[in-house]
Amino acid sequence: MLSRCGHWNAIKRKCTARSISHSRNVLSSSNDGGNGLQIEHTTPPSSARVVVCGGGVMGASVAYHLAKLGWGNETVLVEQSRVGGGTTWHSSGLIGVFKPSLSQVKLTQSSIEMYRDLESKGLNTGWKQSGSLNLARTRDRMTIFRRMKSQSVSWDIDCELLSPEQCKQYCPMINVDDIYGGLWIPGDGVADPYETCLSIISEAQKYGVKVIENCKVKKVNETNGSVSSVETDLGKIDCEYFINCAGFWARGVGQLSEPFVKVPLHAVEHYYLHTKPIPGLDPSTPVIRDQDGYIYIRENNGRFLAGGFEPVAKPAFEDGKIPASSRERNLPEDWDHFHILLEQLLHRVPTLGGAVLDRLCNGPEAFSPDCKWIVGEAPEIRKYLVAAGMKTVGVSAAGGVGLATAEIIVNGETSFDMYELEVSRFLGLHNNRKFLRDRVKEVPGMHYGLIYPFHEFHTGRNLRMSPVYPKLREAGAVFGQVMGYERPTWFEPKYAESGESYDWSGKGNSIPYRIGYTNTFGKPPWFDFVAEEYAACRETVGISDYSSFTKIDLWSKGDEVVKALQFVCSNDVDVPVGSIIHTGMQNKYGGYENDCSLARISENHYMMIAPTIQQTRCKVWLQKHLPSTVAMSDVTSMFTSLCIMGPFTRTLLSEHTDTDLSPKNFPFFTFKMLDIGLANGIRTFNLTHTGELGYVLYIPNEFALHVYSRLLETGEKYGMKHAGYYATRALRVEKFYAFWGQDLDTRTTPLECGRVWRVKFDKGVDFIGRDALLKQRDEGVKRMYVQLLLEDHDLETDLWPWGGEPIYRNGKYVGMCTTTGYGFTFKKQVCLGFVENYNQSGDKQRVTNEYIISGDYEVDIAGIRYNAKVNLHSPNLPTKFPDVEREAYQATRDKNEESLVVTAIR
Amino acid sequence: MVVGSARIMNITRNFKLKRQQLQQCSRTLGFGSRKLLTVDGDAADGARLCRCRRFHTSREPRASFAKLSPQEVDSILRANEYNHEFSSGTTSVKSYDSNQLASNNPIEDTRSEASCLLTTGLLVGVFDGHGGGACAQVIAKRLFHYITACLLPPDSLKQYSASLQTPSPLDLIKSYNDKVQFVDDVRDIYRNSFLQFLRDLNDLNDKKNFEMHRALEDAFLRLDNDLSREALPKDDGKVNMKTLSVAMTGSVGCVAHIDGAHMHVANVGDCNAVLGVRTDTNSWIAKKLTLEHNTFNQAEVDRIVKEHPHNESNTVIKMERLLGQLAPLRALGDFRYKWSKEIMSSIVTKYFGDQMVPPNYYTPPYLTGKPDVIYHRLTPRDKFLVLATDGLWDIISPLQVVRLVGEHMSGKVTLSPLKLPRKNMKLWEINEMLLQRKEGLKTKPKDTNAATHLIRNALGGTEYGIDHGKLSQLLSLPDDVVRVFRDDITITVIYFDSEFLRHCPV
Repeated sequence: MLSRCGHWNAIKRKCTARSISHSRNVLSSSNDGGNGLQIEHTTPPSSARVVVCGGGVMGASVAYHLAKLGWGNETVLVEQSRVGGGTTWHSSGLIGVFKPSLSQVKLTQSSIEMYRDLESKGLNTGWKQSGSLNLARTRDRMTIFRRMKSQSVSWDIDCELLSPEQCKQYCPMINVDDIYGGLWIPGDGVADPYETCLSIISEAQKYGVKVIENCKVKKVNETNGSVSSVETDLGKIDCEYFINCAGFWARGVGQLSEPFVKVPLHAVEHYYLHTKPIPGLDPSTPVIRDQDGYIYIRENNGRFLAGGFEPVAKPAFEDGKIPASSRERNLPEDWDHFHILLEQLLHRVPTLGGAVLDRLCNGPEAFSPDCKWIVGEAPEIRKYLVAAGMKTVGVSAAGGVGLATAEIIVNGETSFDMYELEVSRFLGLHNNRKFLRDRVKEVPGMHYGLIYPFHEFHTGRNLRMSPVYPKLREAGAVFGQVMGYERPTWFEPKYAESGESYDWSGKGNSIPYRIGYTNTFGKPPWFDFVAEEYAACRETVGISDYSSFTKIDLWSKGDEVVKALQFVCSNDVDVPVGSIIHTGMQNKYGGYENDCSLARISENHYMMIAPTIQQTRCKVWLQKHLPSTVAMSDVTSMFTSLCIMGPFTRTLLSEHTDTDLSPKNFPFFTFKMLDIGLANGIRTFNLTHTGELGYVLYIPNEFALHVYSRLLETGEKYGMKHAGYYATRALRVEKFYAFWGQDLDTRTTPLECGRVWRVKFDKGVDFIGRDALLKQRDEGVKRMYVQLLLEDHDLETDLWPWGGEPIYRNGKYVGMCTTTGYGFTFKKQVCLGFVENYNQSGDKQRVTNEYIISGDYEVDIAGIRYNAKVNLHSPNLPTKFPDVEREAYQATRDKNEESLVVTAIR
Repeated sequence: MVVGSARIMNITRNFKLKRQQLQQCSRTLGFGSRKLLTVDGDAADGARLCRCRRFHTSREPRASFAKLSPQEVDSILRANEYNHEFSSGTTSVKSYDSNQLASNNPIEDTRSEASCLLTTGLLVGVFDGHGGGACAQVIAKRLFHYITACLLPPDSLKQYSASLQTPSPLDLIKSYNDKVQFVDDVRDIYRNSFLQFLRDLNDLNDKKNFEMHRALEDAFLRLDNDLSREALPKDDGKVNMKTLSVAMTGSVGCVAHIDGAHMHVANVGDCNAVLGVRTDTNSWIAKKLTLEHNTFNQAEVDRIVKEHPHNESNTVIKMERLLGQLAPLRALGDFRYKWSKEIMSSIVTKYFGDQMVPPNYYTPPYLTGKPDVIYHRLTPRDKFLVLATDGLWDIISPLQVVRLVGEHMSGKVTLSPLKLPRKNMKLWEINEMLLQRKEGLKTKPKDTNAATHLIRNALGGTEYGIDHGKLSQLLSLPDDVVRVFRDDITITVIYFDSEFLRHCPV
């Protein structure tokens, strides 16, 4: 009791406005005696299985869920000052279920469930389901709301589109003069992060969790790559798991280990406006989000609490010196900076002008460079988990992320598919402080920004560039960024530079640096450029820079690498030297941890090509499963990769090499080391990732410009064109090629996506996921990857599909689109997605080919349903230059057609 | 007749007056100077402090009547502007802006800037006189010669000394914006002192290694010593009233020597040198290089107390002043705080009266002219250096100064952060204030000279931008009260050439 009072006093000093609720709480905890929070002031135990670092709502939730899973007595939570004293004590407490991705939605829904559960047990979380009213000031925002409404079916979120008048009815105090409409989300609400934190910590303690306050982590030690102990200023704790829930301080805590654990976060100033009590303010006032004005406002114990996410944020603690305590962390308020939000608040809620200011609180918050949470096991040290970067909505995330984290620890896995949030999505560059400082200026604004398809950041650019980047820029490339890499999205010839000089300093004004943009949900501005690039790839020659792809060499002295890969890959990797295979790397559920190409360079040497975003993640997976006898080297930065595609590529390439490129000597899906031009040692793959005839050249960086220039010189007479990412994407979507991270994820199996022909059950050795896949083969799949061609969609005037659209079969919701694109050959919109089969009670049933083929399909784009023709197999596109090998190859197809597999002919 | 020598003449004439008149004279001087409290100034000062406080409370921005038109304000502010550009790529200094605004009549601040001719480097100084402007004027004209002489390598020194005997002597420095010259007789005295100094240097030079810190210290201390010697009676017992009256006044000063990336700042007293540093994110950092020698500087207080017997500890610093009189704790000149008791009684009392001897004067010297020397290696992030007398630092902080110069460089206005004027404000009221500030932020700086920009903002700046009423009032105060509101202000802003510094060899 005493400690609780002391704690309360400490809080009271900082935020007097909330003292009423706290005093009430203190009283109640004294009444039910022993239920209050007892914080130990002793030294930590000398050992524990799990050490949770951070006593904010995130750390509390991890500890709570560990306790509920039975690890309470084995868990210690250490907090550098007082529990709940980090960011939670001043944050807004908003909980919005609608998040940019399904995994975030599910985690948030799980959080709300937890708060409801706690409340029902009589524990205070401050949870109030007030609903939220989201307002649209522009047509595009209204389109987003319509898309959300149609998507809500898939995500199981209740919501309703409103007219301006209806908005006014939900909340009479708002000004609706300038709005197009709104979206009402009744399940949204608010919680009190501080109360929640105290409640779940006290629950966790009941289950045996030890909570040590005023205990600072000094060092996290590892032994053989796995966490072994944590040193604190109160003593050392031997442990098996370490969970970095240090929130605002998580990046710094990441640097307390050797090697550093990358937790890319940077603080920006963040404001909370508190008013004095407003007479007559309705406690059931919903949360108002006016995203086009960057603001939100909510009722808070008879007062207003308002804030927002300004388009250009102000980085805090730029020198990298993060203050140690919460008190120092508070910065003086910059009213001029907050003004942009204040103006919008007064505009939206005119009566707010008469409200009396209580205080404007500048409590800096830490944001990740991509505005996503950071969770999962660190790639640097095993059993070191991170749950941070909650970017002001910690209370939304805490319940779900806490549960998922505890599941990973206790069960080794979680039911949540979180790969897009995992800490292993980052590279070293993401943790560079100056990169973060530049980037976080635009990150908070993304919360409420109008995010169009193919969103691009404008800071932290021109960071990773391939050797041919200047040439691509001269050719009029408009760039997108992936994993820090500048990748052309499309080319605008009018910006192409005819001269030869290129100013490397970046100061030259001759060639403007242009960043890709779409800025619409309809026909994009780049359509015509991409159409031409697409045509070149189909009819003449297209050249594309694939340098960002992850490239990894794997080898061993004996055949260890073959054996190891046989176990990790579902396809048979023991193919003749010179062959290339596509293979998944399955987890034990049969889901894709990685989808890659493997070229057998020599007997015991493979080169692996994996998606760009897998650069860290797939290495972690391999490291976990490869024996130490297998050497692995990331050669991504050593090779420039150029892809030439189109019917004339063979002729073009033969002009530059002595090697016979005829199918007999260099067949499809094989690899050769070529001399090209005057250069040598170019690893040439006879395949493309888009299904065209063509080659991918992995060129040692110093030869890249030479090879590129030679190809371009001779390419001219074939009508060679540069092709950007959007064109190659259109090619692969039309050909029904799946990509990891977009279509495939850790919960999708090869059987569900028409790739079982790449799974070799009978290759004679066991592999990860085999049992699960065999079981699924017997039982049948419950979802299936399909291609849908929209029949009655008007390219010019209708809104386009951009992914995430719900799919209806015979009028009934059956699934969701993953990726979409315009099929320039079909002249139709092409949607890829997964179809499921629900029975009356909503349970998933077996999905068969007959089920798929027998249905009538529709795709819902922002409330309008378009009829769609369904495909189960990659289509053969009509071409003037048919190629026998390509015709025979279908990336997505049925398992029965094994005979079509092509391997190297020696 | 130029201004500078007129000042000395003036004082000299005053000292020829009878004792009673002299006392009146010194009272007038004392009244004008906040830096120096004389015994008979005490009463007046007490009264002034009260008045001062009263005035301060009514200093809030108000809808005041404007006494001066904007044009008149501009012409007053710009009267003493000076700017010099250096040819690009040859030195780390691109240009400098300088300006002065007088409060005392005539002004007691001086400034000087000069390029070293026989060595490399630029010298820039600001000097704040007290008890009259004489000492500051003399130092501003003489100090750079002393410094450059100390910087000369032995061979150059010999060469230079030799050239002085020829019809076309070498010059040590090239001064900019130097508009005064000494009257003939003192010029000869000063010249002889300097020649003697050169001879002494020649003798010494062979024996010691060159060290920049010591060279600067030596120059300051030697000049101070010469000022003392020149004031004391010659062998024939005759007193030169001109040099003696100079010795009765004092001056603080701050001098920067910039040579490529090497910058040394020598500081005596309460002027300041502040470096404007731009961070990677284009925000400004003010790096204060100097530490004032006044009673806020505890180390300095401790030093002085330690230098005198324990029983003086209550008198040596009193009312935040040295011996209850002098605000700066180090200065050049001011020999009333340096000379022995014998000299004080035989000379000072004789010519100026008892009241010129400070109270509790037991164990002189109480004052030193030894400068602190600070070294800073310039980097491309260092954009400018501001040297200014306390008239500026009394009003605005180093960070404000750096932001103002920074905004002046970029052509935009910044305002100091808004502090809400009272509690329980309504949000619309705050919004109104912010809108007004936003308007203020749009305006472009009026002045081309950064020093003028600083003075304008220091005097007329509010949270909403420049208030003409406030500025006009502060500039049109009558002579007898103006000193209460503002001191003499002297500012020199030196801009560095970042490109030069980027490629500058170590």
